[in-house]
Amino acid sequence: MSPQILVDGLISGAMIGLGAIGVTLTYSILRFANFAHGEFISWGAYFAFAVSGLLGYLSGGLAAPIGPFSFGWSLPIAAVASVALTAGLALLVDAVLFRPLRSRRGAVIILVMASFGAALALRNLLEFIFTSRPDYYTTNLQIAMRLGGGMRATPDQLLCLGVAAVLALAVHLLLTRTAIGRSMRAVSENPQLSGIVGIDIRSVVRMVWILGAGLAAVAGIMTGLIVQIRPEMGLDLLLPLFAAAILGGIGSVPGAMIAGLIVGLAEALTVQVFGAEWRAAVAFVILVAILLLRPQGLFGRPE
Amino acid sequence: MTAPQAPPIVLTTQALVAGYERDLPIIRGIDLSVMRGEFLTVLGPNGAGKSTLVKAIAGLVPVHGGAIRLDGQDITASPAHTRVRQGLAFVPQTENIFTTLSIQENLQLAAAILPKDKRQARIAALYDMFPDLSARPRRRAGQLSGGQRQMLAVARALVVKPSILILDEPSAGLSPKVVGDVFARLRAINRSGVTTVLVEQNVKAALGVAGRALVLVEGRVAHEGPAATLGDDPVVAELYLGARHSREAMAT
Ligand SMILES: Nc1ncnc2c1ncn2[C@@H]1O[C@H](COP(=O)(O)OP(=O)(O)OP(=O)(O)O)[C@@H](O)[C@H]1O
Ligand SMILES: [Mg+2]
Repeated sequence: MSPQILVDGLISGAMIGLGAIGVTLTYSILRFANFAHGEFISWGAYFAFAVSGLLGYLSGGLAAPIGPFSFGWSLPIAAVASVALTAGLALLVDAVLFRPLRSRRGAVIILVMASFGAALALRNLLEFIFTSRPDYYTTNLQIAMRLGGGMRATPDQLLCLGVAAVLALAVHLLLTRTAIGRSMRAVSENPQLSGIVGIDIRSVVRMVWILGAGLAAVAGIMTGLIVQIRPEMGLDLLLPLFAAAILGGIGSVPGAMIAGLIVGLAEALTVQVFGAEWRAAVAFVILVAILLLRPQGLFGRPE
Repeated sequence: MTAPQAPPIVLTTQALVAGYERDLPIIRGIDLSVMRGEFLTVLGPNGAGKSTLVKAIAGLVPVHGGAIRLDGQDITASPAHTRVRQGLAFVPQTENIFTTLSIQENLQLAAAILPKDKRQARIAALYDMFPDLSARPRRRAGQLSGGQRQMLAVARALVVKPSILILDEPSAGLSPKVVGDVFARLRAINRSGVTTVLVEQNVKAALGVAGRALVLVEGRVAHEGPAATLGDDPVVAELYLGARHSREAMAT
């Protein structure tokens, strides 16, 4: 068993974790499993692809690699734009689809089915615009650095790990230390009482979409940078996202991040031991095992 | 607590019809006025619609007809979160605190609608009023005893200095001694100038603290009068005997 799986697992786990934070927030505050969340990952990746391509076209200097990294300033700038655009997309989907359904106070299954439909539409639209051929932010090659212990990682990979850690910590602090975070936790526990104490639920719902979609965009950009950009990239991550959100305990941001790393490591280990064709089964096995053994997740409280 | 020129009526409902579904009205035409500073208790048997009435007033149950006015303003169509800004504080019958949040966080949530520079002082004032809560403000509210939970729920409601405080069965599930404590607190709060509406099953205790009482039966006002004499009314007594029997039957 090569120690390299530790690096590979942590990196893909960090992206799963960022996506799972959005899933866990939507699940605990809007109270439904949003199967369209994976599409925010793909759209985030393509928004950044389009913007960075445009920036590189306008100014060749922006495409020149920064220091040891494979990309130029066009990508971080595009990433910021993509976070805003993906958040806007999520708010739009909520306004035209989920909000009208919520206001009818229908069954949760209706929201879940609607999210399936939204996922399909969003994915097909992406494929229509960009085709299903893989794209890349950059074609520059990177030399992996030795980390010791037989492990290697590229500067891009290390940067992604660092950014994921900082973002997860920031969201955790937002939730535990700020007024909007307090309101989010309140709505998650009891929406009716939240209204009574004066919380405007609509602003909390907006915050959930902005945070969830923003983090999904970042996860998509990282996946695009380290692997490749494809319209199905979000769909492929969907099962790992839900496995991590449930393993971490619904509503727990640190739980989602840590569980994301666990799922990523388990996938890397499985690929090493059994072969790449078993990767997709890992998240499924984890999901079923946690639902049977400890449905509240590692960090959740029993109902 | 209220300006001297404030109008004498705080809250009115006019021919109020409300219920969870449009074709099934639970509240079937209720006219009600609450005078500034008074202590009104709303009584009635199980299922009479007491909770539905106060939930409709708080904006939690759809209104199908009639009007609700608070301090002269029509609030019939406003969402719950704006009613508290207009001075209406409601303590629901169950799940009336955030159990996963700390005591301090419960109060901070309520204080969020006050001006920034007033929040700290107002929370401190409530800790003075409820010393039980100030001992360990970081404690999770879910760990509090039944009586302490009710106190936190009342404190939370008072944070905004409401013009009216509406409580739905704060005595439910409490031991008789704790009920006595809670009611003594409510009486003191009312005497300090807070208009109070108390929904109760505990008729004796409620009539002991309230000035005026109203009996709801099947979504309508069946009786209304001074609390001191309502208990002597043979019709009301009869009604309540029935109600108490059914409650005991359910408990066993
Ligand atoms: N969430 C709900 N959805 C539909 N019907 C409800 C709901 N809550 C209560 N009801 C119905 O409304 C009627 C009045 O209930 P309500 O809770 O207002 O009575 P109550 O006077 O508060 O009784 P209690 O003393 O038991 O609290 C009952 O017939 C009840 O079944
Ligand atoms: Mg009730």
